[in-house]
Amino acid sequence: MSDIDIKRISYLAKLKLPEEKEEFYANSLKEIIKWVDNLKKIDTKEVKPLHNVTEKTESIRNDEVYKNNSVEEILDNAPERAQNFFKVPKVVE
Amino acid sequence: MVIGLEVHAQLKTSSKLFSSSPNQFGSDPNENVNFIDSGMPGMLPVLNFGCIEKAIKTGFALNFTINKHSVFERKNYFYPDLPQGYQISQFEFPILTEGFINIESGQNQKKIRIERAHLEQDAGKSIHDIDPKYSFIDLNRVGTPLLEIVSYPDLKSADEVVSYMSSLRQVLMYIDVCDGNMQEGSLRADVNLSIRKPGGELGTRCEIKNLNSFKFIRQAIEYEFQRQIEVIESGGVIEQNTMLFDTSSGETRAMRSKEFSHDYRYFPDPDLLPVNITQEQIDKIQHTVGELPSQKLERYINELKIEKDIAKIIIAEKENTDVFEKIHNETEVPPKLIASWLVGDIFAFIKENNLDVLSLLNKTKAIGELLKLILDDIISNKIGKEILPRVLNDQGSPSEIVKEMDLEQVSDSGELEKIIDDALKGEEDNISKYQGGSDRVLGYFVGKCIKATKGKGNPKLINKLLLKKLQK
Repeated sequence: MSDIDIKRISYLAKLKLPEEKEEFYANSLKEIIKWVDNLKKIDTKEVKPLHNVTEKTESIRNDEVYKNNSVEEILDNAPERAQNFFKVPKVVE
Repeated sequence: MVIGLEVHAQLKTSSKLFSSSPNQFGSDPNENVNFIDSGMPGMLPVLNFGCIEKAIKTGFALNFTINKHSVFERKNYFYPDLPQGYQISQFEFPILTEGFINIESGQNQKKIRIERAHLEQDAGKSIHDIDPKYSFIDLNRVGTPLLEIVSYPDLKSADEVVSYMSSLRQVLMYIDVCDGNMQEGSLRADVNLSIRKPGGELGTRCEIKNLNSFKFIRQAIEYEFQRQIEVIESGGVIEQNTMLFDTSSGETRAMRSKEFSHDYRYFPDPDLLPVNITQEQIDKIQHTVGELPSQKLERYINELKIEKDIAKIIIAEKENTDVFEKIHNETEVPPKLIASWLVGDIFAFIKENNLDVLSLLNKTKAIGELLKLILDDIISNKIGKEILPRVLNDQGSPSEIVKEMDLEQVSDSGELEKIIDDALKGEEDNISKYQGGSDRVLGYFVGKCIKATKGKGNPKLINKLLLKKLQK
């Protein structure tokens, strides 16, 4: 198994790890992956890929508009608001 | 240069891809948002069949293989205008694969292959220029259905890209899949551009994101092409980058931080089951595709005998063809005459008065009547042009206007002969000039006669009678 880039993984997961703990988490993750890798021992040549455990087909609705909430209800969940916008720390690329 | 295009087309549905919020542009901020769109925990997305229908229609129009089995996956990335933390998209199993479209490239047709098209959600909108410290987020666009159409790198110039994009837009509008409004962002393109020496190996590509006008697409390509050439010629290497096109400076610049390359960690969305479509559903949708622009063009030229250039102007917009076909169905005037009037004076009138082409739909009877009067030589072409504005302004039916203004063409030979005789009086010099071989004098005489009839004389008849008299 290839080595784990713990910095990259914590970045993708938006987690800040203290530097002295990085090795600990990297090793724990490796253990988990090793355990899951046991699955690779099973021969799946004859098994069709499954995208969902229920094996059913998507339930579908018709193209109809149904409004059951207000702007106020939506913005109640906003950490901060400005007029009818969500207000967030500046993000500019 | 080598270019591939990713075009995002917003689908013209009433509701969103996975929620029943209105799919509508121009509403007040956060007006069209429900708990699914705002990414609240525990909300379940439910697929809108309208989007599947539009995708399948596109499949037929762009010669795709329509996949009966497709899968929605999560594309994970973090940005405030995407409250779910992932975009629901199709990755390994898109609904459409391997299509193509024929575009015009200079004088020739060129086939542009399309790798795939898949359904996905749009993100919201961030507004950065209201407050210096904060960004404001409007989630109205979240969950709007998009069809992302990914071409192969078959395009070789800015002209070809524009031609491809406008052909695509035309088709999507004809089949009523997308409204084609680029200004409102209904159709946007990401351009993947690399350069290579003739016959050489493909270079590293840069992707210019989110171009929403033909003008910007052209400018961005031309700028980026020069930039890459300069980097290579000064001994540098092109880094694979995502670029942004600055519309005010006309320049491209690198956008995303390069600290880590993107890792979207796609996986099948556990909230959504695979989509399985039946052959019956596909067959039913096929009947709704209708006539495509290329088929219409061919029919106009070959069956209706309209000149190619004029036919092209008409088919450029679907609404033009609606008007043309309505007039054609209502009258017995040759289609060629309808077409040239439509493209000429009628469209000029529409443009001058800032009207919508579709407003002509309830004037088709009057237009047909006017053309019939011209065809039957009751009025001259010239008079027809003169009264057209009155007809289009609903100031009476063409025949009423003609009667009221006493504009009927004079086609009575006796009357015309008298006028010609008058016109030739005192013109002995010019008559002998004509008999001496000067054709120009004939035009002078015709003009003089028509003037004497106040423009109502039938020019064909005047010409004929005049020739007879002059040859005596």
